[in-house]
Amino acid sequence: MSALRFRGHRVDADAMLMMAIVNRTPDSFFDKGATWAEDAAFARVAEVVAEGAEIVDIGGIKAAPGSEIGPEEEKARVVDFVARVRESFPSVIISVDTWRASVGAAVCEAGADLLNDAWGGADPELVDVAAQYDAGIVCTHTGGVTPRTRPYRIEYPDLMASVLSDCLGYAQRALDAGVARESIVIDPAHDFGKNTFHSLEVTRRLDEMVATGWPVLVSLSNKDFVGETLGLEVGERLVGTLAATAWCAQAGARIYRVHQVAETRQTVDMVASIAGRRPPLRAIRGLQ
Amino acid sequence: MSRAGVRVALVPGVLALLPEYASLEDPVAELRAAAEAAVSVLGPRVRVVASDGARARVGAALVAAVGATLVAPEDADETGVLVVGNGSAKRTEKAPGHFDERAEAFDAALADGLRSGRVDVDLELAAELWADVAALGSLDGALEGVGTAEVLYEDAPFGVAYWVMTWV
Repeated sequence: MSALRFRGHRVDADAMLMMAIVNRTPDSFFDKGATWAEDAAFARVAEVVAEGAEIVDIGGIKAAPGSEIGPEEEKARVVDFVARVRESFPSVIISVDTWRASVGAAVCEAGADLLNDAWGGADPELVDVAAQYDAGIVCTHTGGVTPRTRPYRIEYPDLMASVLSDCLGYAQRALDAGVARESIVIDPAHDFGKNTFHSLEVTRRLDEMVATGWPVLVSLSNKDFVGETLGLEVGERLVGTLAATAWCAQAGARIYRVHQVAETRQTVDMVASIAGRRPPLRAIRGLQ
Repeated sequence: MSRAGVRVALVPGVLALLPEYASLEDPVAELRAAAEAAVSVLGPRVRVVASDGARARVGAALVAAVGATLVAPEDADETGVLVVGNGSAKRTEKAPGHFDERAEAFDAALADGLRSGRVDVDLELAAELWADVAALGSLDGALEGVGTAEVLYEDAPFGVAYWVMTWV
């Protein structure tokens, strides 16, 4: 594993990072608008930073279909907020969940460090923005679907080949555009262009993504593949999420995009210690 | 055992002092600091006396930690002797050997003996109290003329009685 850098923020090669989801949306599936108000979103940032999240991922548009949010409205939701977070939390890595280059440029101008493109490069100019600001970029696999659409009868002749080809192709495009190698992250994008069987398979085979050498981000938190696998509604999926998290931690995922920071951190730390990558916090029993 | 000019130190055989059992937060930071300070006065060539292999490893790790060289018995250029041993492991309910009401008095007597350089313990009771005293016998009588005892650490933080001492 190698060291990462997102603008001025450097990350050690052995660090596993918590990326806390902060929604500036009235309708995201998990929090259902709990942080729609700016002060509520700001309080959420303070909370997750206190819990040890290294990254906050600020989003202005929910992933699922819904009323159209244009670039101006998206900017109105996130740009000033990014500036406020930058001012108050200089050491936190600010990620913004957007696929639009125009929004990416505005948030980088306001101090964002990382562009989390959940939609697999739908806007080809996003990599240029990342390069221009020396920001990081998350290269996801969506199977080529249009942003904010649900997967419908999508099949892959070879899912993992598609994931690797798209993610690595996107990473190469970012490199070619001038994004620094240590600032590029890949993400299989669970449930994006994928049914539950697909999301389970990319989890099962996550080690193949890690083996590419690119740092891997996983976004598992409370998603439908967990819900369908266990027959649980949103709000009942933490245990299933943590089981998937443990699997990905064993495989070597570096960044975890999460709603529940403390629980995920415990899971990832425990797995890292079992794997021999992290000493116990404080072990004395039997060693006195 | 000790020749003129050879310095002596005592540390407990705490396995948590070994690098292979390092935690992110050192549970024995204060003890480790005292132990390394004690070992560092022993000079560049140190012999370890311990009751078994694991305790000898603790001694060797401390010698390495301060940058000294471990030497075998009968080394002509030996500059110091590191004795590994400790008192009972039954001081509290949560101690490794659980609570034994005889432990505190045993340890107090042992402490007095260490300070005066005359270690005379009841080996049967020591075994019952899980005290690691086998190597301490080598101190008995050997400390005469080696200077006065200095106690760098004296506590039983986990229900096990530890001393870090030097005779310089």
